[in-house]
Amino acid sequence: MKNSIEVRNLTKKFYIFEKDYHIFSWLFTKKLKGIEKVALDNITLDVGKSEMVGVIGKNGAGKSTLMKLVAGITFPTAGTIETQGRIGSLINLSAGFNPDLTGRKNLYYKGMLMGMSREDIDGILDDIIDFVDLGDYFDLPLRMYSSGMSARLGFGLAVFSDPNILIVDEVFSVGDKNFQAKSKAKTTELFHAGKSVLFSSHSDKLIREFCNRVVYIRDGKIAFNGDVEDGLAMYNEDVERQGKK
Amino acid sequence: MPEAVKFVFKEHFDNRGLILKLAIVNMNKQTLRTSLGVLWLYLHDFVYFFVFVLFRILMAGSGEIDNMHNVVYLVTGLIPWFYINEVLNVGSASIKSYRSIIQSIKFPITIIPSIEITAIFFKRIPTYIFIFATCIIYGYIGNFNIFLFLYYTLCMLMLMYALMLLISAFVAVSSDFQQLFLVTIRVLMYTMPIVWGYKHIVTMPVLNYAIHINPMVYIINGYRDAFVVGDIPNLIYSAYFWLCVLILFVIGSFVQYKLRRYYADLM
Repeated sequence: MKNSIEVRNLTKKFYIFEKDYHIFSWLFTKKLKGIEKVALDNITLDVGKSEMVGVIGKNGAGKSTLMKLVAGITFPTAGTIETQGRIGSLINLSAGFNPDLTGRKNLYYKGMLMGMSREDIDGILDDIIDFVDLGDYFDLPLRMYSSGMSARLGFGLAVFSDPNILIVDEVFSVGDKNFQAKSKAKTTELFHAGKSVLFSSHSDKLIREFCNRVVYIRDGKIAFNGDVEDGLAMYNEDVERQGKK
Repeated sequence: MPEAVKFVFKEHFDNRGLILKLAIVNMNKQTLRTSLGVLWLYLHDFVYFFVFVLFRILMAGSGEIDNMHNVVYLVTGLIPWFYINEVLNVGSASIKSYRSIIQSIKFPITIIPSIEITAIFFKRIPTYIFIFATCIIYGYIGNFNIFLFLYYTLCMLMLMYALMLLISAFVAVSSDFQQLFLVTIRVLMYTMPIVWGYKHIVTMPVLNYAIHINPMVYIINGYRDAFVVGDIPNLIYSAYFWLCVLILFVIGSFVQYKLRRYYADLM
């Protein structure tokens, strides 16, 4: 495999059932009582090594769906996704943390959920402590943390877990200015080390700053795939036109 | 269907270390903030057990149930039931309770019920002391058979693993099913010979068979055999029990295999 991520003819449909229990008849007889929503429609996409691809589009266009599919959290309805190496997904940063455990114990706990061994975490613990910079809070239960602080912990674990692919879903807004600068620097560092980054954001500034290619998703289809400025121009034009309506 | 069973086996085998480690971590998840920790659980059990004994003595005097001192009869039935009861309550909602993890981390989903069942088992091992202590006090300990005890503990775990594979999947996708299941648990205890004896029912064959349809009865009776009676397992009923486990496991694997692609979307 030449690329880090290869997506072929990917389609993702969501099913919304009228009643919870309708799922049983659907599972075993394929009769659907409810609505079918096409979130992604026949998407083909490659992300090479050392590439940082920005994903843009309106709310509900399918950006997050694409991210979750690549991260292996959800499964495609049709088509294939191939990825290479460990995936660091910055999707819901504080997921998997236990509010009653300390920051340190939570790192081991979530690391375990992510499939890392104790030794793996031991090896990166000092780097994470240094990076998240929580001070005394690191050895206090997570329920004492502000939401930004636990997100920082999640961010630290994801970027130091030696990912080959980093999936960043609108999370650079976590933390204060200092931490934002640090997390940008760390992401850039990974990217220079030959990792691939899939990056979704609503901020033109961030996309320009980071990405060397942009993918514009409109109503579940790839409307544009290429140069950053052209993609952003097309997206902003669409947004303006809709705003006028 | 064979690939579903293979898939569940493989996911369990590949993650056996993770199941064990997470079970140990999750053992005192609920009582982490309390000062007594897991001791609270034993206190719950003891008080619950004590209430049953008290009622039994008030209603029927300190007599016997099925030729066994009633306190011994109650403890050998209730302690395994406390375990089963907690598994039915907590284990059935296990996949549902991992929702935020399933929706943000790639995780082997079919091992989740097994993690919870193992965790509950670990933290409840000390409750067997209740049974031993009661048997010693009432002078029954001479009949204790360690092999039967280990065998029925294995039976209990296997039945729970197989049953929860199926139930946890249904509960995760349907809240209606969860309510239905919770209602069933409320009744379940009184359909089994835990707090009442059934020697007098033997004369009514239909009712006797009906009670034994529930494979959990095999375990409840089994623990009494292991601690007090000393009978070896009935061959036909054992075969029926293991058949139940097998069928539940196969159906459970099939449902998990079908649903695993949809959990993150449907919860």
